[in-house]
Amino acid sequence: MSISKRLVFGTGLAAAMLASFGATAQDQFTCPNQGGDLIVGLEGAPGTLDQQTATSSAVRNIAMNVFEALIIRDENMAPTPDLADEITVSDDGLSYTFKLRQGVTFHNGKPMTSADVLASFERYKTVGVSRSIMTSVKSWEAPDASTFVITLNEAQPTFLENLSSSTAPVVIMPAEEAGKAAGQVEIIGTGPFKLAEFVPDSHVKLERFAEYVPGNALPGLSGFAGHKQACVDTVTFRMLTETAARMAALETGEVHIVESVPAISMERLAAVEGVELLTLDAFGLNIGYPNWSAPPTDNLQVRQAMLAALNMEEIMEAATDGVFQLNPSLQFPGTTYFSTAGGELYNQNSIERAKTLLAEGGYNNEPVVLLTTQQITTMYNTALVMQAQLQAAGINAQLQVYDWPTALATSEKETTGWNFFFTHWTGSAAQGGATTLRNLAAPANIYKPQDPAGDPAYNAAFQQVQNGATIEERAAAFAEAQKVTFENVLAIPFGVMSNVQGIRSNVEGFKPFYNTRVSNVWLQP
Amino acid sequence: MISFVVSRLLQAIPILILVSLIAFGIIYLIPGDAAVVIGGPSATPEELEQIRRNLGLDQPLHVQIATFYINLFKGDLGRSLTLGIPVMDALIARSPITIGIAIYSLVLTIVIGLSTGMLAALNHNRWIDQAATLFALLGVSLPNFWLSLVMIVLFSVMLGWLPTGGYIPFTQDPIGWLRTTTLPAAALALLQAGLLTRITRSTLLEVLNQDYIRTARAKGLPEWIVVGRHALANVMMPVVTMVGLVLSVLLSGSIVIESIFGIPGIGSLLGSAISNRDYPMIQGGLLFVTTALLLLNIVIDLLYTALDPRIRVKGR
Repeated sequence: MSISKRLVFGTGLAAAMLASFGATAQDQFTCPNQGGDLIVGLEGAPGTLDQQTATSSAVRNIAMNVFEALIIRDENMAPTPDLADEITVSDDGLSYTFKLRQGVTFHNGKPMTSADVLASFERYKTVGVSRSIMTSVKSWEAPDASTFVITLNEAQPTFLENLSSSTAPVVIMPAEEAGKAAGQVEIIGTGPFKLAEFVPDSHVKLERFAEYVPGNALPGLSGFAGHKQACVDTVTFRMLTETAARMAALETGEVHIVESVPAISMERLAAVEGVELLTLDAFGLNIGYPNWSAPPTDNLQVRQAMLAALNMEEIMEAATDGVFQLNPSLQFPGTTYFSTAGGELYNQNSIERAKTLLAEGGYNNEPVVLLTTQQITTMYNTALVMQAQLQAAGINAQLQVYDWPTALATSEKETTGWNFFFTHWTGSAAQGGATTLRNLAAPANIYKPQDPAGDPAYNAAFQQVQNGATIEERAAAFAEAQKVTFENVLAIPFGVMSNVQGIRSNVEGFKPFYNTRVSNVWLQP
Repeated sequence: MISFVVSRLLQAIPILILVSLIAFGIIYLIPGDAAVVIGGPSATPEELEQIRRNLGLDQPLHVQIATFYINLFKGDLGRSLTLGIPVMDALIARSPITIGIAIYSLVLTIVIGLSTGMLAALNHNRWIDQAATLFALLGVSLPNFWLSLVMIVLFSVMLGWLPTGGYIPFTQDPIGWLRTTTLPAAALALLQAGLLTRITRSTLLEVLNQDYIRTARAKGLPEWIVVGRHALANVMMPVVTMVGLVLSVLLSGSIVIESIFGIPGIGSLLGSAISNRDYPMIQGGLLFVTTALLLLNIVIDLLYTALDPRIRVKGR
């Protein structure tokens, strides 16, 4: 029996994409200038570069310049082939065939084959942090050196969307590394840069991988995908966790690029000759969620009263020093799943409504414990303003401040002792769709419902977001899930935070993104 | 002498066991683990559970403690949760960096502290004395993280004399090492120099009023010999005691200073381990630092006997 297949990504599609960009193969990116050492000042100090086992942004900032995946997200978070040249799906939606990009070698000189892909997937299934994306997989095989086939138990329209998620990507490593435990692998990828030196708490040095074979599906870099080139000879990522020291290093020209310029430094840096500031408008969602298990937030009307009392403009102003957008959504504006469903409940700023709801709910001045950390200023300031607004509405709001690991662990493991927790959704909000909503669905259920199954209306919508046949169906389901989130107060999104990065003016081609990308970036002579 | 050293080393063993037990208790009493740090704010609980499985943190506490001590008696401090390398390897790789900066800082402390203290004592109740006392007061009062940032702004951003941070090994480039370690060493030294100034000043003032100093002066000895040979020799006892304290404070101060200047020493290793909840690294680091301080105390005790023949250690 022959299986009819449809091409979802491949050379024909690539040609169409090129045409839509108005580009031809000749227009593909070439480095206007080569050479030099690009120095990046990092906010985080990762201890590992084992990308399959870490979801933190600090790891991606470095590792995603070294590793590549079969399929990854582009600039607009659309799934895009990277190490795959062509992807076909059988008509029954059960079988996915990936034809690998030809001529790709690992940084150790070994050619990449489907055996390496298979071994990398096997490893991810064991130690990969988002391995739940593989729960629908029945089997995988490597019928020949350049083909990898995944067979699913049942059709899952969002399979490629999930597989391409760049939170903890299924990066491909040599088969001999793939048997190793989490954090134990040699950092050997197929990307345009290879690891030269890693000194934890100090720096990571990458150097150009001369044998790199770029993909041709897109004319230039887009997200983590596209036609990537190493224009500089080396990249030094310096771990400058102290913000003031990081800004000073940009000012003196010791580093070319810095992450996360605080609002307080913007005016001064903007006036420094040779420094430019770049803004990524939608970088992260400032968000919090109530604890449905602990009184009084086990009471729907108390939660609704909390939501009604909030003035998001005041909160976001204090949290971000004015660099924000109000956003009645769990998605960033302009993205595929963006919706304002339930948005009428956002930014109500109504003390009267809050008081009415509290009276209806029988609220009796029980303490509402706001759990937060001083280590992340945005979260702490959000909590401070929210406390004042809740108190103005007659809610006995109290702050509980811990360091970040303690606060997060308390919210995760304890069902008592806290009523509202503050966090950020950066990667998960940017990925969109089911990835954004997964935290509020069983078995994650970060809002701690008394019934572990969680809110049935939300769960029904979430299932549809995962399994809807078309993007329209999935987007409609997302809107429904978001509406339930607002109505039943599973979470409260406060607004969208921007991220400002600083660069020296001799840096060209650098585009702010959710993570730092050093491909297609060159230094002026 | 040998039996003194052996007995002090034997006394150190229960102290080390006690330190590791207290550390275990404190570490495990506070919530939060390495998984939440590796996972980042966006990680789902499901992803955090997977990270915990990868790190062995899903094992019951008693199993984790037993594993730690079994490995410890085999001479194995375990493997860092975040770095993925043996704790001992990390400590050995990082310690020369911190020791280098500590020695540099100690030299600065002694030079600045002794000379300022002597100047103050020799110019008692004059403006130099008051200026030195003010310096000492500022030195002990200013937090070193604040001082570090002010020094970065002054010497790196405004004057452009020294880099804002980073580290170049001495073996690779001695001048580069000096450039990258001067600000952190000075930031650490100023606090200690303030303390040393005060001790030197008060001890020297006391010594200068002694009869034997008056006799030396009456003999017509030049002032520099009176102070340099006769007075200073007796100031050295409290100074040696002080040096022991200074080194222990340099080790703890390096946690903050190394993080600010991006120096990959023991301080930043321990600082990261604590904020990352890297249990094996915290345990190993604490044992390492405690051992270093215990050995340092033994050396200081031995130095007393060398400096003051009146002191004889038991067993000599």
